[in-house]
Amino acid sequence: MAGTGSTSRRGMWIALVVGIAIGLGLGLFYTWELDPVIELNTAPWQLNAAAREDYVIAVAMSYAYNNDLARAFDRLRAVAPDRDVWQMVADIACERHKSIQIASNSDILVMRALERLYRSQGASGCADGLYPTPAPVVFLSPTPVQTAPVLPPPPTKTPVPDLPAPTASPAPLPTDPPTTDRYIIARVESYCDASRDGLLEVRVFDARGQGVRGVPVLVTSGTGVRDQFFTGLKPGREPGYADFQMEQGRAYQVSIPGLVSDPRSLTAEPCQAQSGGETVTVTTSYRINFQQQAN
Amino acid sequence: MSKRTLGSLLIGVLIGLAVGVYLGWVQFPVEYTNSSMQALAPRYQDEYTVMVSEAYLVDRDAEAALRRLAVLGKENVPDYVQDLTERYITQSNVPAIPSMVALAEAMGRLTPLMEVYRMPPPTAPASPVVEGQ
Repeated sequence: MAGTGSTSRRGMWIALVVGIAIGLGLGLFYTWELDPVIELNTAPWQLNAAAREDYVIAVAMSYAYNNDLARAFDRLRAVAPDRDVWQMVADIACERHKSIQIASNSDILVMRALERLYRSQGASGCADGLYPTPAPVVFLSPTPVQTAPVLPPPPTKTPVPDLPAPTASPAPLPTDPPTTDRYIIARVESYCDASRDGLLEVRVFDARGQGVRGVPVLVTSGTGVRDQFFTGLKPGREPGYADFQMEQGRAYQVSIPGLVSDPRSLTAEPCQAQSGGETVTVTTSYRINFQQQAN
Repeated sequence: MSKRTLGSLLIGVLIGLAVGVYLGWVQFPVEYTNSSMQALAPRYQDEYTVMVSEAYLVDRDAEAALRRLAVLGKENVPDYVQDLTERYITQSNVPAIPSMVALAEAMGRLTPLMEVYRMPPPTAPASPVVEGQ
C-alpha cells in the first residue's frame, strides 16, 4: 500500500510538472504569436531600414536648417545607439547615390545635407564630393538707365519746372560668376568594388558645380597607353561624366585641357572585394573630379 | 490516469499558463525591430514632423514634405500638420513654431492662430543646384 501511495504521489508531481511545462508553452505561444503586445511607443532604433533612412534624412535636413550639431547627434543616437552614427549617415548617402534615388533638386539638397553632416565629423563614404555646393551666384545691380528723354524747355516767359528724374530702376539681372578655363583636381578617391573592376570614373564640373559635357579627357600611361574620350557620352549618366577601363598593374595619369593642378598618378593596384559572400581580387577603381575655377 | 493525476496535470497547466502569460506580456514581451514609421511613438512622430518642416525651409519643396510625411500613415497629412502646429502654438513650443507654420501655410492650412508666427517669404532666390547628378 505504501509503495502504491508513493507511486501515486510521484505521478501527481510528474503530472504537475508536465502540466506547468505545457501551460508555460501555451502561454508563451499565445502571448508571443497569437496575441502579442500591441506595438506602441516604438523608438527610432526599432525602425526598419527604409524608415531609418527617412528619419536620418530628416535629421540631416533639420541640421542644414538649424546647424544644431548636438541635437542632430542626439537624434541620430536614437536611431543607432550601438554604432558610429556619422558613418551610418555616410552609408545612407552612399546607398542613395548607388541606387540612383537622386531625381529632383530636393534630392540633391538631401545629399548635400547628409554629406555636410557626416564629413564634418570625419566620416566618409562613396558619395563624398559628388554633390558639390555650387559657387555662389553674384547679383550685379546695373546703374539705372535714364529712359525718358530730356527736352530743352520751350521758349516761354514763365519758368517751367524741370522734368522729374526717372525713378524706375530695372530689376537686377542674375549673371553667371566670372569663370576661367582653368580646372583643378577637386577630388580623387579610390575604391574597391567587384562590380566595377578597375573603372576610372571622371567627372568635370563648371564653376557653378554643374557637369560639363564634351570635355576631352586624356589618359596616359607610362607604358605608352594614350587614350582620349569625352564627357557626357555615357547614356544614363550625368553630363560631366566619362569613364575608362584600367588594366591591373598600370599607372595612369588623367588630364583635361586647362588643368592647372599637378596631374595625379593613379595606379590600378589589385585589391580585395566581396562578391557573393566570397573575397575576390579585383583592380582598384578611382573617382576623379575636375572643377572649373571661378575668377 | 487517476483523477488525482489528472487534477495535478490541470493545476500544472493553469500555473504554467499564468506564468507564461506573465512572461510573454510583461517580463519578455515581443520586441519589434523592423517597425514602420507608423508605429513610431507619438513624441518621435512629432519630432520627425518638425524636422520635415525644417527641411521644407531648406528646399521649399512642399511635395517633398508631403512625401516625407506620408510615411507616418496619417489619413490627412495637411490636417495633421495643422493640428500639430496649433498644438505647438498653444503649448508655446517656440523653436518648432516658425517652421511648422511655414509648412502649414505651404499646405494651405494657415489659420488665424498661425498668422502672427508667419515667416516673411524668402527674398533671395534659392541657390542653384546641380541637375542630373
